[in-house]
Amino acid sequence: MISEKLWNWTSPVWLVVGVLLIGYLIVGRGRTQNQLAIYLLGLCVLVLSFVSPVGVLADGYLFSAHMVQHLVLLQVVPLCILLSLPRVKATKWFQSPRRDRVGRLLAMASIGWIAGVGAMWFWHVPLFCSAAAQRPSLGAVRDLSLVLAGFAFWWPIYAPCERYRLDPLRGIAYLFSACLGCTLLGIYITFAPLSVCPVFASPVDRIGILNSLYDAGLTPGIDQHLGGLMMWVPPCILYVGAIISLLCRWYSITDSTTEFVPGSAKSSGVSL
Amino acid sequence: MSTEVATQYELIEVDSTTGLLSWVSTVDHKRVGILYILLAVFFLLIGGIEAVLIRMQLAVPGNTFLSPEVFNQLFTMHGTTMVFLVGMPFFTGFSNYLVPLMIGAKDVAFPRLNAMSFWMLPFGAFLLYFSFLTGAAPNAGWFSYAPLSTKPYSLGPGIDYWLVGLIVMGVGSIAGAINIVATVLCMRAPGMSLQRVPLFVWIMLMQAMLIVITIPPLNSALALLCVDRWLEAAFFEPVRGGSALLWQHFFWIFGHPEVYVFALPAFAMVSEVIPVFSRKPIYGYAFVAGSSTVILLLSYGVWAHHMFAVGLGTSANIFFSIMTMLIALPTGVKIFNWTATMWGGSIRFSTSMLFAIAFLIQFVIGGLTGIMFAAVPIDWQMTDTYFVVAHFHYVLIGGVVFAIFAATYYWFPKMTGRMLDERLGKWQFWLWLFGFNGTFMVQHFLGAMGMPRRVYTYADNPGWALLNGISSASVILMVVGTIVLIWNIVKSLLHGEVAGNNPWDAFTLEWATTSPPPETNFDSLPEIKSRRPVWDQQHPEYADWKFAKTPEDSGRRPDRAKVCAWAFVISEAVFFVLLLVTYVVFNSQASDDGPSAETVLDVPRTAIFSGFLLASSLTFWFSERSLRAGRRKTFLFWLGTTILLGIVFLCGQGWEYAGLISNDVTIDRNLFASTFFTVTGFHGLHVTAGLIALAIMFTLGRKNHLTKVHSKPFEAIGVYWHFVDVVWILVFSIIYLGAFKL
Repeated sequence: MISEKLWNWTSPVWLVVGVLLIGYLIVGRGRTQNQLAIYLLGLCVLVLSFVSPVGVLADGYLFSAHMVQHLVLLQVVPLCILLSLPRVKATKWFQSPRRDRVGRLLAMASIGWIAGVGAMWFWHVPLFCSAAAQRPSLGAVRDLSLVLAGFAFWWPIYAPCERYRLDPLRGIAYLFSACLGCTLLGIYITFAPLSVCPVFASPVDRIGILNSLYDAGLTPGIDQHLGGLMMWVPPCILYVGAIISLLCRWYSITDSTTEFVPGSAKSSGVSL
Repeated sequence: MSTEVATQYELIEVDSTTGLLSWVSTVDHKRVGILYILLAVFFLLIGGIEAVLIRMQLAVPGNTFLSPEVFNQLFTMHGTTMVFLVGMPFFTGFSNYLVPLMIGAKDVAFPRLNAMSFWMLPFGAFLLYFSFLTGAAPNAGWFSYAPLSTKPYSLGPGIDYWLVGLIVMGVGSIAGAINIVATVLCMRAPGMSLQRVPLFVWIMLMQAMLIVITIPPLNSALALLCVDRWLEAAFFEPVRGGSALLWQHFFWIFGHPEVYVFALPAFAMVSEVIPVFSRKPIYGYAFVAGSSTVILLLSYGVWAHHMFAVGLGTSANIFFSIMTMLIALPTGVKIFNWTATMWGGSIRFSTSMLFAIAFLIQFVIGGLTGIMFAAVPIDWQMTDTYFVVAHFHYVLIGGVVFAIFAATYYWFPKMTGRMLDERLGKWQFWLWLFGFNGTFMVQHFLGAMGMPRRVYTYADNPGWALLNGISSASVILMVVGTIVLIWNIVKSLLHGEVAGNNPWDAFTLEWATTSPPPETNFDSLPEIKSRRPVWDQQHPEYADWKFAKTPEDSGRRPDRAKVCAWAFVISEAVFFVLLLVTYVVFNSQASDDGPSAETVLDVPRTAIFSGFLLASSLTFWFSERSLRAGRRKTFLFWLGTTILLGIVFLCGQGWEYAGLISNDVTIDRNLFASTFFTVTGFHGLHVTAGLIALAIMFTLGRKNHLTKVHSKPFEAIGVYWHFVDVVWILVFSIIYLGAFKL
């Protein structure tokens, strides 16, 4: 049965998820129900991206499935983990000067931007893309680097401590320009005549499903097409979602901070 | 001789506030705004006459009133005129007039740049319309699809005039948009935080930003087509290896956001009109503002829905279809905001409000047919039929033009000091309502019946003659309505009721000054503590800030020269990105067709010359520091070095060009040569422009006119100079090092 071959129940991702879950339960005291739910959601998506057909096909068959995996590693997992960190505890934790320095370093927009967009670009240079797809060890390095880059990318937007976050308007510019970065690469991959990741152009048929894939219309050309669009559209939609949340933050700035005192506003009857 | 000059000066002095010359020489944002609007009105009439001619031709089947050639010219010029000479100027005009008033500023950030932006427009319009005198007006449609627009298929000069005219107008639009961005960010009165600006201002800021990034793709497409037509390259000629699809991509990367360049200001206008005539604040300010921002972001990712029928592949179609449906959400949200604003309000059905309400309904119809087109199969069925014509006229007339009328009735009293006649206004409203819907509603049916657009006549198929007859006859109502409007304007200007400062009991700052406002806009400003300062001032017991808090103004304003430089650099970056994309598209596959980057480029030599250019960024930085520190001599030394390094780089480029050309590698040789010369050539032009700016600075510095206080504008030039270097790094790594082939 093809459908059974398409599931990889023995993936090592279970180990990672197990460690992450136990770690969170121990460290993440003070979390809210929502945060726990977000964390679990992130882990589920992570598991699915390796155990489900996405994971199996990403392993040498389909460039588009491989791209879905990238998006999960780079965008979804780090975002979920950051959002699920308990705010009060994290704020305390970052009070030590050394940790604070790391936090502030990560808060530099240029670092996050280059990490997030750069990781996407770097791992899609045909040379590296193929190498990482062929060697499992390099593949693991790539996966880890994507998660770390994702952390760095989301940190200036959703860091658990307020002081590490970008000002909302800058945050919008940050996300918008990142979206343009993805768009450019996505367009390139979508419309490029050459194979971006040559491994996927002539897959080794490990489990004998290649013909059925081709029959289903997922030929290498179409596959790369889809991959490019995956890189382009879903991240941008995610960024737009984040931008909406930043706009909400921006419009509600005063409501949460100082109490408004009539007359404290600058400018009364300014003459020009 | 000298007395003559003196008399001339006196004449100018006397005429500086009145008379024709005062209008030509003005830099006052209000007058420039009115000039924009007048120009738009003039071309609305021209474009309208073109439309009337088109509808006369289509009134009966098999008509021979117009020849096919003239028909093609008319619909091309009608589209181009309405987009570039009516829509854009109307909005820029209103924006120019109102934005500084609404944020409590004396003028726009760069008044002279503003005047220049405006005068580019009549200049471009003149070029465009001059083509009629050559006997060959442009005739390839407003989007001039390649290869029809390339030389082999359009030999006449019409397309050339179209190209040059559009480039000129595009430059003007970008300059105008940068000015609005800088004005809103830098010139707000104290207390006016960005979260408190009227929705009109916020949405026009979004529109200006959209223009800054959306015109450059058009400019790069136009530049490439110019190279094709004048220098015999073949970017868009499939026969010689080019890609006609590339034109469509580039054009629609511009063309679709352009739809929002039109729609956003319409949203901006009704967002002011509806609350005032409903006697309520807007419902969900943050939603309206935020969704406009989201539109700006999403509009860049939906262009290919104009290309569903060209065969991009199912996956691309599905994605673009989803994106297109997504962008309907932020637009739809606003409809609910406006409706909710009216809900429970004390509505005054003034002419302005009637137009706004009609806008709401008609825009929904246009929007719904738009969502229909987002579904690929429907698009395939309906594309290039009159259904499309009906759809976008519902958006552009039913939506946008009706919003402009609403704005005209609303702000006319502010601009002229006199009210428009409400009775005549209502006549105009009903004439236009019936005329517009009569003309375009039936076109939905015609389209569904399969009547193709852009064809000069049609066969006498069942029902077609009747529906086309209705469509053409209804145009008469719009024509009469327009005459009523013009009569109303003339009559009101002469004998209209005097408006007073705030005839509508409106909320925003433009109503806090006289009608028309004095040259410096305000004698004094009311306190700005909420989004409706004039309301607060006039109804202190119900002042907004007592009930709803808005984010305080931090008082910080960015430097306008820097904002201007950055906006310009972003716009230029988009231009270069598209040129580089072109290079990558045409050079990613190895071809044995003539020279290529590997065979003819001398990489080490260019690397050395690149070193000179990069070093110039460093020396510029030194000169900047010296200027700030007030060390004039070192400043001049480093600035001079920068100029020299730039010149050395250009000489290197000249050397390279000479070598290539002597080896018969010319721009028309093959696609590598075309793309290479285009990209490096445009970069060279930018370096030259930068050098001219630096030379001016150097001269000013030598004459001691450039001192510490001018360091900000100087740094703004620096932003541009560093940008030129960054572009070169990209150009070098892509073209010379072939980074995209790794």
